[in-house]
Amino acid sequence: MSETYLTWVYAVARDLDPAILVSVDGIGGGPVRPVADAALTAVTGPVPAGAFGGEALQRRLSEPGELEAIARAHHGVIAAVAAACPVLPLRLGTVYHDDDRVRELLAQRRDEFAATLGQLADRVECGVKVWAGPGALAGTAASEPAGPTAGPGGRDRPGAGAAYLSRRRAQLAARDDRQLRAAERGAAIHAELSALAAAARRHPLQDQPPAATAGQEATGQMVLNGAYLVPSAGAAQFTAAARAVVADLAGFRLEVTGPWPPYSFADGTGTEDDQP
Amino acid sequence: MTQPWAATPAGAPRMAGRTEPASLADILERVLDKGIVIAGDIRVDLLDIELLTIRLRLVIASVDRAREMGIDWWEHDPSLSSGARDLVEENRELRERVGELEAGAAAPVDEQDERRRAGARPARR
Repeated sequence: MSETYLTWVYAVARDLDPAILVSVDGIGGGPVRPVADAALTAVTGPVPAGAFGGEALQRRLSEPGELEAIARAHHGVIAAVAAACPVLPLRLGTVYHDDDRVRELLAQRRDEFAATLGQLADRVECGVKVWAGPGALAGTAASEPAGPTAGPGGRDRPGAGAAYLSRRRAQLAARDDRQLRAAERGAAIHAELSALAAAARRHPLQDQPPAATAGQEATGQMVLNGAYLVPSAGAAQFTAAARAVVADLAGFRLEVTGPWPPYSFADGTGTEDDQP
Repeated sequence: MTQPWAATPAGAPRMAGRTEPASLADILERVLDKGIVIAGDIRVDLLDIELLTIRLRLVIASVDRAREMGIDWWEHDPSLSSGARDLVEENRELRERVGELEAGAAAPVDEQDERRRAGARPARR
């Protein structure tokens, strides 16, 4: 019996030499194939319809082990192509019935893809995450909520209630202050880094620092989750500059990832952020 | 530079470099949240996957590290492996949980998630 295959699309590339795909493994160790239309090439691979159609795909992606394997394979193909030519990474899970449908896509959106690929050529993405350590965002006054306020000696309930409300207000105000300072600091660092990049994006902050595991204490509050598009040859320089920016700030910690294929700029180098 | 990309395909040795190697969490953040969205022929509800990653973030940020330590409990945790469970039911639970989290103390972060999700719908053409 013959198995039906669907076409998984990893990326759209320009000036791709199809020969480089021969040695690249796709999802499930499958082959990676070019689907070309003029100067643009969709980087695709066949995936079994039974395992990757509709609900089966959804189920597969909901399984952490499967999700990891697919995510790593998807990224691996995109990274391999990005090392050779301008590439537009596609969101994981873009699947077509067959190669002809992919050709239609390329034909329909040729101008848009070509324009974006022009912006991304010879550029890579660096990821920068910055965390504020304990105390780094503390205010000059009332940074921490006070303990039980010494009221007028336990006279009656209304006094205790008022003390509670007052304490609660102070807690909320301190939290608001910290949030405000976190936002300000994140914006300031982002502005400095953006000045060093061709384009920049702020992504949603993450609630869990990467080191907060295996018994380690949480390392602080994330204040910046940014992506910066820099010249391929300038990634090391950007990384050093980013480290220098944060090294000047007491209590802040930085992590630089990449260089990445330009995932965060696949819809162009406009300045819109994931967050305001 | 021996390896221009921080990619660490399964089984490949990690390259020492200036920057941290690409962790699973970093890869997931990019392949699930970034990259151009094109409506293919097969519908995948990215919102559901995003909800999944919100929960996964609570544990998966350190999957690489945990695996190095020989810990693979999430592969056997029924709440993390859907198995035969009904996805609809699971998604309902997730939405409730996310609602609780958003109502909780980490409000600013969760508001961003909310905004992102609110923005994610129209972006899906």
